[in-house]
Amino acid sequence: MNSNIGPSSPAASRVHHFKLVLLGDTAVGKSCLVVRFVRDEFFEFQEPTIGAAFLTQTVQLDDAMVKFEIWDTAGQERYRSLAPMYYRGASAAIVVYDITNPDSFAGAKSWVKELQRRGDPNVVIALAGNKADLEGRRKVEFEEAAAYAAENGLLHLETSAKNSNNVKALFVEIAKKLPKNPPQPEREAFPIMPQQPEKQGCC
Amino acid sequence: MQTTLQPIEDEVLVPLQPDEETEDGRVRNREAIAKIRDIWIYSKVRARQEEFTQYRKALVFTGTWNVNAKGKEEPLDEWLCADWATQGLPDLVAVGFQEIVDLNAVNVAVDNKTQQRSQVWTERLNATLNQHANQPERRYVLVAQKSMVGLLICVFVRFPHYPKVQYVQTSQVGVGVMGMMGNKGGVSVRLQFYDSSLCFVCSHLAAHRENVTGRNADFANVFSKTVFDVGEAAIREVIRSGSLSHFASQSTTVGLADHDHTFWLGDLNYRIDESMPTEQILKLSETCQSSRHVPPELRQLDQLNMERSAGRVFAGFQEGVLHFAPTYKYQPGTDMYEQRPEKKLRAPAWCDRILWMSQQAEHVQQLTYSRSERPNCSDHKPVYSSLQLTVKDVIQEKREAIYAELNALLSRYENPQTLPVIELDQVALDFGPIRYQERKTLSIRITNIGSVVAIFRFVPKTDEVGICKRWLSVKPAFGMLVPGDPPLTVNFTITIDSYTAQLLNSGREVLDDIVILRLEDGRDYYITIKASFARSCFGMAADELVMYSDPIRSIPIDPLERAKKIDPTNTSTALCIPKELWRCIDAIYQKGLAEPHLFVESGIPEETAAIRECLDTGTAFGRYSIHSYADTLVSFLSSLSSPVVPTKLFPTVEIDSQTIQSSARRLIEDLPPIHYNIFVYVISFFRHVLAFRDRNLLTAAKVARVCVNSLAPGRDLDNTAASLQKRTGMQLIVLHLLETSSI
Repeated sequence: MNSNIGPSSPAASRVHHFKLVLLGDTAVGKSCLVVRFVRDEFFEFQEPTIGAAFLTQTVQLDDAMVKFEIWDTAGQERYRSLAPMYYRGASAAIVVYDITNPDSFAGAKSWVKELQRRGDPNVVIALAGNKADLEGRRKVEFEEAAAYAAENGLLHLETSAKNSNNVKALFVEIAKKLPKNPPQPEREAFPIMPQQPEKQGCC
Repeated sequence: MQTTLQPIEDEVLVPLQPDEETEDGRVRNREAIAKIRDIWIYSKVRARQEEFTQYRKALVFTGTWNVNAKGKEEPLDEWLCADWATQGLPDLVAVGFQEIVDLNAVNVAVDNKTQQRSQVWTERLNATLNQHANQPERRYVLVAQKSMVGLLICVFVRFPHYPKVQYVQTSQVGVGVMGMMGNKGGVSVRLQFYDSSLCFVCSHLAAHRENVTGRNADFANVFSKTVFDVGEAAIREVIRSGSLSHFASQSTTVGLADHDHTFWLGDLNYRIDESMPTEQILKLSETCQSSRHVPPELRQLDQLNMERSAGRVFAGFQEGVLHFAPTYKYQPGTDMYEQRPEKKLRAPAWCDRILWMSQQAEHVQQLTYSRSERPNCSDHKPVYSSLQLTVKDVIQEKREAIYAELNALLSRYENPQTLPVIELDQVALDFGPIRYQERKTLSIRITNIGSVVAIFRFVPKTDEVGICKRWLSVKPAFGMLVPGDPPLTVNFTITIDSYTAQLLNSGREVLDDIVILRLEDGRDYYITIKASFARSCFGMAADELVMYSDPIRSIPIDPLERAKKIDPTNTSTALCIPKELWRCIDAIYQKGLAEPHLFVESGIPEETAAIRECLDTGTAFGRYSIHSYADTLVSFLSSLSSPVVPTKLFPTVEIDSQTIQSSARRLIEDLPPIHYNIFVYVISFFRHVLAFRDRNLLTAAKVARVCVNSLAPGRDLDNTAASLQKRTGMQLIVLHLLETSSI
């Protein structure tokens, strides 16, 4: 079994690895969702992501363990052209919008379109309407987003990274939808440093 | 006007394998990681080189002689063994010859006579060096020889050191007719002596007194094109001795600059500047020869000394002071400079020279630098120099112990369970306004704030090859930080060359980029680069420049913005030539036509930058030297995005006295209107310049070269015979136009 999963993983159940990427316009809460999911923390003033952060978290299903390798991307428009570096080869994508910001919903639609066109054909896409705690300032109706999601075969949830609502559920729903068969070939994850052969001298 | 060396390749990491996605979802490049790790160890080991290196002295004899296709009988020991009595037997002997065969067309094109002649010369060297070889320690063994047409280099080692000579390679570079043929160029031998890498270059550079730029260019050519594919084992030695760029680039080739010591000998053909009359040079040279004293004024006018102190050639090389009389041109078989009435009177010159370049200057000490009076059958006297080298001798066991120690230290900080964490002090670099030819550097600092080793490298964006745009360079492009290491500085440098300026001026490029720093097993950081181009008349199209009577800096690049300011259909305001051209020429015309060495000497970089700024902003000139205006004029013309004379208008027929008139007329008739104005204006100006030739010391040939370089650079011409003919034809036409009064 893989040696790099860490001591917490139950040795008995099979662990499935999936690459997941978060996409969406700037300031919709992508990093907050990931931080809530991975570390169960929330920062009111999360700094904008300039680059792409890598985190992992495991979800326990009834019949399997799913380990997400998560790439949290930069949402600012100027970095948009760099997104393919991260969604290429991803099994799942969470496209996030802010329910108080209709522009971000339009943005989410264009991210979905880009994924459908240029991403993996079997990619599981979830549409997440974040900041659901700000009901009073809602500008994107749940029904509208749900209809759009249904039309495009996307999972759809409204989440709140702030009060943690639906965050875990979002990842669990994705985990359920991901194909668990055939089992992934068991191969050694290679070590960070390649094996140092017995070296002579410094070369 | 300036010949610059090609920049030595940046250290860029080029893994053979693409990045791969690991099973745990991370993007990683094992090869890159392994390399960066090794590079870290190498550089740390090298920093402690004193702990595992013994130094030993080695005596090197170097000699050079242009034999003028003669001299197969005269003894060589007066030259080759000149220092034996005073310095002892040399450990290494490197001798270069030029013109071992006649440089006639057949020999230049077909290299068979050379083989036979180089055998003869090698055998004669061998015999001379071994004439007293009654004991093994006095014996000399040939290490390598390399010849190319007239050039030959031979390297011998004294027998006791023979086992310490490794990784011997040779190389040749032709820079003669059509590029690859060898009537001029260089042949080289490189080797590892104990643990120091040495290289010996024998070269013959472009002839003719006025062709200084040709010699400089030949040097730059031979310097940059001399490469040795040394193979895996030797490259490890090169890397060990410090050249990490090889490690990074996978290359097993080394260049001259990669050696601990490089010796350059040959007929470099530099003459004595013509500001001193030929008769006077001759007289002073004769005095040198009889008194063995070189007057400083003669030495100062040596073209190589002048070019080197101006930084135009042999950058990084050292040469001893010339204490011997000029070695060329002698009446063969005599000790008299050639001045027979039937021969062309030539000013004597120090054509034959020996220079060296070292990674550590204190490791070379020149003991002698002189010429030999015998053999004298050639029109050149042979030159020699003995140098004492300090060579490295590595104690392997000690080096391995240090390696093991560092490896152990490193493995304490390597833990696949823990993610590396770094901190960048900034991720957005705003360079502000940047001008043409300007170079600005900003940097970021990377600190490892985690508990494991952090390896980073800059990676290309999807579907791109380079890590950044061509006007930007990032250094270092990769690195490794152990926890507790001091912050590492990465420099970002923007340079605006004329190609970039052309793109920027036409709005096809903007100074904006995102560079991706990948922390292996961690995350990607985006570093945004921003600058604003201060618009310049350099790198623009002449046809566009004439539309603006306002300073170019005030003209927006954006065509929509520009349209608000200028009506392109209103041609009544169009100028007949760019005003910037007029300003430069007028400045020279007003006060500088008689300036000695006009258009030969370079300008002062600070002044040329200031002049460009005046042209771009429409402000009045300050007080600058005439050479700075001349330099600016030439670089302005050659920066134009389409040359004044496009390559398609170069003559297609061979230019001779029959065809020159009609070809010149056709060329002028076919020029597009604005280009026609510029061409006629510049040629007329240079005719004025030539009217002052007594005082500015120019010749029509020199001016023609300046004109062709700036008006008709023919950038897209290659080195084929047809292209060469076109270039020569262009030169002749310009010369013709300069010398006749009609245009």
